[in-house]
This record gives sequence, C-alpha cells and structure tokens, in this order.
Amino acid sequence: MADESETKITFRRGAPVKPEKIKGLFTGLALTLRTMLSKNQVVQYPHEKEVPVPRARGVIGLNEDNCTACMLCARECPDWCIYIEGHKEKRPPRREGGKPRTVQILNRFDIDYGLCMYCGICVEVCPFDALHWSPEYEYSELKVANLLHDKERLGHWETTKPAQPGYEKGSEMKGAKK
Amino acid sequence: MSPTPPVLAAQARASAHLADARMAIELETPEMTLNIGPQHPSTHGVFRIVAEVDGEKLLKADPVLGYMHRGYEKLAEVRTYPQITTLVNRIDWLSGYCNEIPFILGVERLMGIEAPPRAQYIRTILSELARISTFLVFLGSYGIELGALTPFFHTMRDREKVLDLIEGVTGGRFHPNFNRVGGVKDDLPAGFIDATRQVMNTVEDICKDVETLLFGNDIFQQRTTGVGLIPLEKGLAYGMSGANIRASGCAVDVRRDEPYLVYDDLEFDVVMDDRCDSYARAWCRLQETLQSVRIVRQCLDRLPAGKIMAKVPRIIQVPPGEVYTRAENPLGELGYHIISRGGRIPYRVKVRTPSFSNVSVLPWLLKDVWMADVITILGSLYFILGDVDR
Repeated sequence: MADESETKITFRRGAPVKPEKIKGLFTGLALTLRTMLSKNQVVQYPHEKEVPVPRARGVIGLNEDNCTACMLCARECPDWCIYIEGHKEKRPPRREGGKPRTVQILNRFDIDYGLCMYCGICVEVCPFDALHWSPEYEYSELKVANLLHDKERLGHWETTKPAQPGYEKGSEMKGAKK
Repeated sequence: MSPTPPVLAAQARASAHLADARMAIELETPEMTLNIGPQHPSTHGVFRIVAEVDGEKLLKADPVLGYMHRGYEKLAEVRTYPQITTLVNRIDWLSGYCNEIPFILGVERLMGIEAPPRAQYIRTILSELARISTFLVFLGSYGIELGALTPFFHTMRDREKVLDLIEGVTGGRFHPNFNRVGGVKDDLPAGFIDATRQVMNTVEDICKDVETLLFGNDIFQQRTTGVGLIPLEKGLAYGMSGANIRASGCAVDVRRDEPYLVYDDLEFDVVMDDRCDSYARAWCRLQETLQSVRIVRQCLDRLPAGKIMAKVPRIIQVPPGEVYTRAENPLGELGYHIISRGGRIPYRVKVRTPSFSNVSVLPWLLKDVWMADVITILGSLYFILGDVDR
C-alpha cells in the first residue's frame, strides 16, 4: 500500500500530550506572565476607536450627480431595500438649433439599512459609478424607521469614502504597480 | 402519664431518622423529561434537546431542529445566481467564505467557465483563513464548555487577526460575498502577503499553547477521553463528515479525494485518529488548523500573477443542467445540488450541510450518558445551528 494517497495521512494513536502536573503548572504561569507583560489589546470603544480597513463595507454613499435613476441597483438588490423615484425633464440643447435634451432627475433615493445585507451588489452593478462603500459604522438608531437613509444622508456618506491603497504585486488590476 | 425519660426520647428520635433514611434509600427516582435549550451557551445557536433523565443519567435524547430555519433553499429559487452567494454566506456564519466556494464552482461548471489561476489561489487562501478562524473558535469555546476559561481569550484574540485579514481583502468579516462567477471581486490589497505571514506565525504559536495548556491538561483529558464514542460504522451510517468522521478513523477529505481549487498542487496531511472519542475530534481540529497554516503559506509562496476574472457575460445566464459540487467545509462536507432550467434563476438549489448529518447521530449517541458528558459530546461534534437548519 504505497500509493500516493497513503502519503498524505497523518495517523496518530494515544495521547499526543502527556499531562505533567508540575511542569504544566509552570507552563500555564509562564503564559500568564507573558500575557501580563504584553501590550493591552482591548480598545475601549467610545473613547478610542479602531480604524476600519479601507475596503470595509460599512455604509453606502451616493454621488447624486452621477445617478441617472436607471434602477439597476434597485432591481439587482437581493432584498429590494433601495427605493428610487425620478422624472424626466427637458433641458435646452447643447448646440443652437439642436434637439432639446432629456435628463433624468432623481426625486428620491432611499436605502433601508434595516433591510440591507451589505452585499455590495448595488455598488458593483452601478454603470455610472454613483454608489461607493464607506467604512463608517456609527449610525445606529433608536427607531428602525430612522435607518432609512435619504439621498442627503447618503450624499454625506459619499464624502467619507476613503482612498484605496494599491494592490499586491502580480496584480493586473487597473492602477496596480507593474 | 410520667414524662418520657431523655434516653428513650433520644432513641425515638434516632429511630425516626433511620426510618427517614430508609425512605430515602427506597425512594424511586422517576424518569423526568428535561428540556436542554432551545437556548444554551454550549450549542452555538438555538437548539433543543428533549431529554429523558433518570437522576444524573440521560436515558434518551431527542434533538428538535428547525428553530433557525430561514428557508434559504426556497429563497434561492427567486434570486439570480450572483444574489444567491449573499445568501449562502449566511448558512454557516462562522466560515462564510467557505460556503461560497462549492456554489460558485457548481455555477462555473454548468457555464463551462474556469477562474484564472490567481483567482483560484486567492480563493484557496481565503477559504483556509476562514477555516482557521472557525477552528480557533472551536478550540476556545470547547475549553469554555469544559470549564477552562483561558484558551477562549487567547484564541479569540488571534482569531480577530485572521478576521482582520479577511476583512482587509473582502470588506466583510463574516459575510465576504467575494466570489463572482468566473473569478473573485477584487485583487489582494498591498501588504496582504506580509501581514498574512505574520498572522500565520501567531496562529501557529497559539495552537502550540492550546496543545500544551488545554490538550495536555489532566482534567480536559479525563473529561473527554472515552466520552462520546462513535464507531466508524455508525459515523458512516449517519453520514458524518469532516473532523468528526476523521476522528473515527476514516481518512476522507474532499480536498484530497476530489480536489477542487488548487488543492491538487499543495502538500498537506489529512489528519486522522482512531480513538473515536471527544478528545480525538478536538485533537483532529487542532492539527487541521496547523495544516491550514501550512496550506496558506504554500499558497502565498506560489501566488501567480495574472488576471482575477475570466471572461463572463455581463448577465449571468446558466444553461440547463444539473450539477452537484462539494467542498470540505470546516465542519464537514458541504454540497450544492443546483438544477438549472436556463435563465438567470436556478430551478432548485439543494444544500447538503455537514452539521445536519453530524447532529443526526445525537439520538443514538446520547443514550445512557451522564448529564455532564452531554455538553462534552455536543461541543465536540461542533455544529453550527444555521448550518443545521439552513
């Protein structure tokens, strides 16, 4: 039985560690001492804050100027927590004598964070780069209804969008160092 | 009537006491039905066992499932494939990343797409990191269930570092939703490889600490050795998988038997034990954590350059077909049976979760055991209730 699959098995019997009472006591005490002398790892939350990583999915920000109310995000959302209303308006043509332009105006853009699963599909499907993730996380509310963020509030989150660091070497993403 | 002499009174009292004592000896202890749960700190979720106890002995146990049922199989029938990956994250919430792998592999197999090598390596690294974080929870919480408080703080502290790595790449600590059909969402951020190497050293240290402090502890060994024996035939008959069956002496590991991702190129051991008891199950998980560290290090060394997404259509439409893909989750074998009748939405997604099969052995296992051993056995099987009920 010397086939290849046999080489990948660790097979052990019996207790791997023999309990040694006196030595074990000192091992435990040594760990206690080591931990006591090491740096404190606890962050006292309201007084000091951890900085989330730039990619952290904390809250979604909306860049209202980019949004054309195309409803792609609202349709692709797995739990349908985005509410969009918009209307069309005529604008004067760019050149003289041209046809008047039609623009989409956003009346309402709400995300219900009480429902949101923080999956990021809306950010990904947006063809006009209007939605972004921000690592902000302090927006808990006493009432569930207040978790519905309107476009002003989402616009505020957009300003907290962090700069993304580059990629690990070997990456062929846009903006990666060669 | 003359007063009773004190000697006689003392005799009367003594005889009354003796009669009481005889009563106590002859008192029958009737069988009693006792509910363990639905909420109990040792069950990792909402789980209920209706137990018939005779004193300290548990005669019969009947697990009641379904408190965590969220209907993911049904929800998947009205969602597109990219939306379903957000759902499968939540099946086993401790290792959200590992749940995505078999589903995405199944969809890719139906569509005839293969992810580029760099994406495969990133997937392997992240799923092993998720495995490490799950096992660190086990090593800590199993100590707590048996009365050892210290390992919990140490393992949880180091698990935080592993979760920070996952968050740094995917943006989510528990629900990464990082896999896409044909690749992964984003490339690794700068500095990831160095940070991971450091954390892997930390994990190795904590595993050694846990091995000496917890597994070498006399009390721990006496409470776990020989408790909750599952013979190999019984384990196989109940469809157990993962470390639970490997501790019963059957070296099955989907990563080696049916290699997916890049496990074929990597060197790792399938940890196996034949003692079949709670100690063996815990010991297997400890050793598997070290094997995962080994796998992550190999992946970091071999990480190829290149693209992270294959060419996929913008709208994911899966041709008609049927596929069953499985993967080695931290808890056991996780499989998805995906039936597609064409279009953007699957016809049916059947999820085979490891915890459900692992829990099904409980009525057989929890017979004639002491109450104190019930927690030992439940903890050593290590199931996640979201994984049991889906």
